[in-house]
Amino acid sequence: MATKAGDGVTLTAQQALWLELMPFYIREAWLLDERKFKEWVDLFTDDVLYFMPRRKNVPRREAERELTKLGDLAIFEEDKRYLQMRVARLDTGMAWAEDPPSRTRHMIGNLEARLLENGEVEARTAFLVYRSHLETDHQLLSGYREDVLRKVDGGWKVARRTIVLDANVLLDKNLSVFL
Amino acid sequence: MGTTLKYAVIDPTTGKIDRRIFSDQAIYDDEMEKIFGRAWLMIGHESLVPAVDDYFHTYMGEDPVILTRDGQGQLHALLNMCRHRGNRVVRCDDGNAKRFMCAYHGWTYRNDGTLEHVPGETEAYYDALDRPNLGLIEARVDTYAGIVFATWAKDAPSLEAYLGDARWYLDTVFNRVDGGMQALGPMKWLEPANWKAMVDNCSDNYHVPTSHLSSASVQSRFLGRPRLSHEDQFNSPNKHAFVNGHSVTFRDADDDQPRYMHGVSDEVMRLFKEYHEAKMPEVERRLGALRARRVQLGNHSIFPNGILGFRLALPRGPLRTEFWHFVLLERDAPEELKRALRIGSQANNGAAGMFEQDDVDNWRQVTEASTSRFARQLPQDLSMGVGHAGSHPDYPGLVSERYISENNQRLFYQRWEQFMNAESWADIPLDPMRARFEGTAGMRG
Repeated sequence: MATKAGDGVTLTAQQALWLELMPFYIREAWLLDERKFKEWVDLFTDDVLYFMPRRKNVPRREAERELTKLGDLAIFEEDKRYLQMRVARLDTGMAWAEDPPSRTRHMIGNLEARLLENGEVEARTAFLVYRSHLETDHQLLSGYREDVLRKVDGGWKVARRTIVLDANVLLDKNLSVFL
Repeated sequence: MGTTLKYAVIDPTTGKIDRRIFSDQAIYDDEMEKIFGRAWLMIGHESLVPAVDDYFHTYMGEDPVILTRDGQGQLHALLNMCRHRGNRVVRCDDGNAKRFMCAYHGWTYRNDGTLEHVPGETEAYYDALDRPNLGLIEARVDTYAGIVFATWAKDAPSLEAYLGDARWYLDTVFNRVDGGMQALGPMKWLEPANWKAMVDNCSDNYHVPTSHLSSASVQSRFLGRPRLSHEDQFNSPNKHAFVNGHSVTFRDADDDQPRYMHGVSDEVMRLFKEYHEAKMPEVERRLGALRARRVQLGNHSIFPNGILGFRLALPRGPLRTEFWHFVLLERDAPEELKRALRIGSQANNGAAGMFEQDDVDNWRQVTEASTSRFARQLPQDLSMGVGHAGSHPDYPGLVSERYISENNQRLFYQRWEQFMNAESWADIPLDPMRARFEGTAGMRG
């Protein structure tokens, strides 16, 4: 399938999907960096799994053990209610890890997306997230996300997010920012 | 004692502590010798190495250690240091291997530590290498209810004596059921704080309604959990007790409620209660009625660096600590409950845990207050409840009159002094064991 763009340029379905999703991810990054967390949490479906496995040092030939599976202890294993709870916490005035808040910059790129048969989309992105907190604390978090996106009421929502950090021992004092 | 002791850092009558113990490099170096070189240290759990030839990489203080299960099923704690030059022979976090080969020159060790093969032993070493005495250095290992401990000290007392009557309390979580426990984890992260700040925090229930109010209030709104208030805490019948350096706080109530878990919903607590009731006959057989029904372990620490459940504060210099968070689950609990407790564990504690996020800057700033010229001259004040603790007719150890007390923290620093001033284990006192261990549960489960 090819889509005809306004000025006569023809896009493949793949390119059209890419162009549709990239602004979604850019919007999400701005919501996070501008601390609009209630709007951010609305980008997730009600049945979302927000998941960050642990990442281990294993021999190259045992690469399938590098990421811990669902069912093992994860760094994040949250449903919508838990995500909403984390967001609500930030407004209490006493969520000390984020009050005063972190200054973050989410750089999202390397998007690859694939339309699934059920109409959902599998989208993979890489991120570099800079976090600065209090006076001199700072950390660069690098990793990738694997999302399953679903169209809800004409807009994309994240139905499943797996976040993989490029770290074994996390060098930050806590993970109080969203990825 | 008539002699002047090297370390007198706490005045037990005023609760004033010398802040320098949180930042001074020389004191830290001494701690590595006198505390981490002597104490029984929590290093892992049997369930992390379930099969023969499994290994799990861990630490005793800063020393890297391989916890192995050899071909005969025997546990070993081996210093991860090739005897040739000192390279690590294991670079993975866990796995299954009969042998470990040093990646520098190929010296190869069996998983019981024996040095099995040295390239060029005849040709290059002229068969003059003392190979039988060049195995990996092995620590003493013992287990309590599946938790693996190790010590470098040949003169250390038995693990059973080391835990002493603290086990009477610890049993109520770790030794509760016949099927034993299973460890998941760890997640690992580096905190910019002194290791002692996090350990002493385990008995500090005073901070909870302030540090953790935001988390408790949203958990009440979203999960239906009880609200948290200072008043409830001050009036709580719960208690603190201290044995041999180990701090426990415990719930003292005869209402047949299961152990309080943060981070899970009301529905999960109902499920937990059903499980609690179904298991009660088994638990009562194992622990006796008093411990099965009345006593539930709350926050606790195992001297020196075992924290609240199965977590470790691994020292990385005076101003840094690598934190390891595991969750321990009863192996035979219903899957639905295990899943909920696992999720509750990451939501609450761990690097991203809602409660724990808010602890770190407290510990960090308590540590850093000991680094600047003027601030470090001012002692910390741990005076809460001085003179309000003693022995209790039902409960072993030194028991505080009130749940909210700094008694355990003062005693932790006094225990620290005992280790730091001792010439050897002979100088380190152990509390006499007085508890009646009713029921069938023993050291091995």
